Amino acid sequence: MIDATTLLVIVLMAGVTYLTRIGGYVVLRNRRLSARAAAVMEAAPGCVLISVIAPAFVSRNPADLLALAITLVAATRLSMLPTVLIGVASAGLLRHLIG
Amino acid sequence: MSISQAVEAAGDGSGSEFRRGVASCAPVLLGTIPYALVLGAQATQKGLSTVELSMMTGLNFAGGSEFAAIQLWTSPPHIVLIVAITFLVNSRHLLMGAALAPFLRDLPRRKVFPALFFMCDESWALGLADARQRAAAGITPAFSPRYYMGAALAMYLTWVGFTTLGAVLGPMLGHVETFGFDMAFPAVFLVLMRGMWTSMAAARPWLVSLVVAALFYLFVPGAWYVAAGAVSGLVAAWLMAGDA
Repeated sequence: MIDATTLLVIVLMAGVTYLTRIGGYVVLRNRRLSARAAAVMEAAPGCVLISVIAPAFVSRNPADLLALAITLVAATRLSMLPTVLIGVASAGLLRHLIG
Repeated sequence: MSISQAVEAAGDGSGSEFRRGVASCAPVLLGTIPYALVLGAQATQKGLSTVELSMMTGLNFAGGSEFAAIQLWTSPPHIVLIVAITFLVNSRHLLMGAALAPFLRDLPRRKVFPALFFMCDESWALGLADARQRAAAGITPAFSPRYYMGAALAMYLTWVGFTTLGAVLGPMLGHVETFGFDMAFPAVFLVLMRGMWTSMAAARPWLVSLVVAALFYLFVPGAWYVAAGAVSGLVAAWLMAGDA
């Protein structure tokens, strides 16, 4: 039911995440961050998220690329649920139609 | 109801402070549910059991990093990659904790450390906005721990509960990739990024990450594209910080 390596990854994830939560309070509370350091921290989550989904942007399947473009436009104006539904439906339909 | 109206309506009773926190978090909870279900369902596709997924969301409680971990999940998982990515996705907590720190000054550490375990984007934003509003209205102490915990626990229970439900329902959906369900991931990530969007200038490092990650994905075997994309974006953010 619980794999040892999986458990290790989960515990380590939980540990580093808790360190980020208390780190700002413990270490940074009486310091002023440089503008650069703050800019890097602001940019970090977006940089990681876009890197994780980068393979979708260079798919060789035109149906997938078109569906991604539709999803991207949906994400700029709609909330989570409609965007996910539009993304899934457009990928399913376009793969069926264009292959 | 705006936060200031809620402050006036709630009075000082501690039970009502907790309820006020839950109530102001309610609209956010509705938006969280589909995203939690998707995470749970995708985790089972990657071979995690329901118990493992519940442990991940219950102990870690940081959705963006959990989505990244599941997307990168292999059997066996790359321990260093996933832990490093978790740290990078959650590094914003450092800034969030620092911003909240002035309002936590009067609380004993035995209360602060457990409270910070429940600091997510939503509970942080609500707690900080409420404290600033109360400070402006001359209410002391400005930070209401029970309001914050109301919002934070509502978020926590919703997140862990609905990711677990997604994991339970996941196997019933079968192999969802064939119906386009894999597009749920880019969709979730793009909506998360829209929420982080401030300006075109601030988003330039993201573009650097995208281009470098895509090139690594095409030309370098393995999962190095995530680390390469993330690091190049951070370097770009450092270099661009002067003129952004």
